[in-house]
Amino acid sequence: MLNEIILMTHVLFGVGCLLAAVWLFVDVLHASAANQVRIRRLSLAAAGFMWAAFIIAGYWYVVLYPADKAIILKGPWPFAHSFFMETKEHLVIMLLMLATYLPIAARNDLAANPGARRLMLWLTAGIALLALLVEGHGAVIAAGVKMGLLAQPH
Amino acid sequence: MENQSVSKHTVSFGFSLALCSVINALLVVAKEKSHAVAAAMQRVTGHHWITHGVAVMLLFLVCGWLFALPNGGQGLRPTASRLLGIVAAGVLAGGGIILGFYLIAD
Repeated sequence: MLNEIILMTHVLFGVGCLLAAVWLFVDVLHASAANQVRIRRLSLAAAGFMWAAFIIAGYWYVVLYPADKAIILKGPWPFAHSFFMETKEHLVIMLLMLATYLPIAARNDLAANPGARRLMLWLTAGIALLALLVEGHGAVIAAGVKMGLLAQPH
Repeated sequence: MENQSVSKHTVSFGFSLALCSVINALLVVAKEKSHAVAAAMQRVTGHHWITHGVAVMLLFLVCGWLFALPNGGQGLRPTASRLLGIVAAGVLAGGGIILGFYLIAD
């Protein structure tokens, strides 16, 4: 049960980062003196969510995933590991850097500086899309385990 | 007004993000193609992925700090548009190398 909680918690924090990025995108579109503090706090929250997701996922990947990997590789969907997990485990490092950079970029005067605003819009859209991509990768990996288990002789 | 400058740490960590995204991807290729690299990364922390993640994030922080030092501590001064172009190019190149490598080359 604890293993499943660990697995779901990393997804939960990942979704938290994704939602924060979408919220930020909309807030930055309407950046003004009134929402600048909220944007900066939300940027910190997005980074915090991503760091939490990354650390929990890292523990799960290193300690618990080898058993799932063996099931996937013996099953009918080996690409769930050889492509989807292999790309996911390295794309999330980029995602972590993007999320860490977000509060730094949010320190600019977004209401008065269109260049800084455009940078924030690009960053938040990039984080949301990349987070969505790796969430999808996670779904394929989970399906790969399921397919492997279904293919095992009873 | 279109290209107002951004803070020195926005620039320095933006350059660092672009650079480290590409290094992250090249490290993937290096460890997949060289058993010696993969084994060395395994030895450092006990798992190649932990070494990979820690190395890239440390490099990101160190480069972000270093890129803020030129011009007597004022940092580099590109326009916001140029910075955005560099960040986008680095992130897209890094992501493209990782996806392309596992899709085609591996």
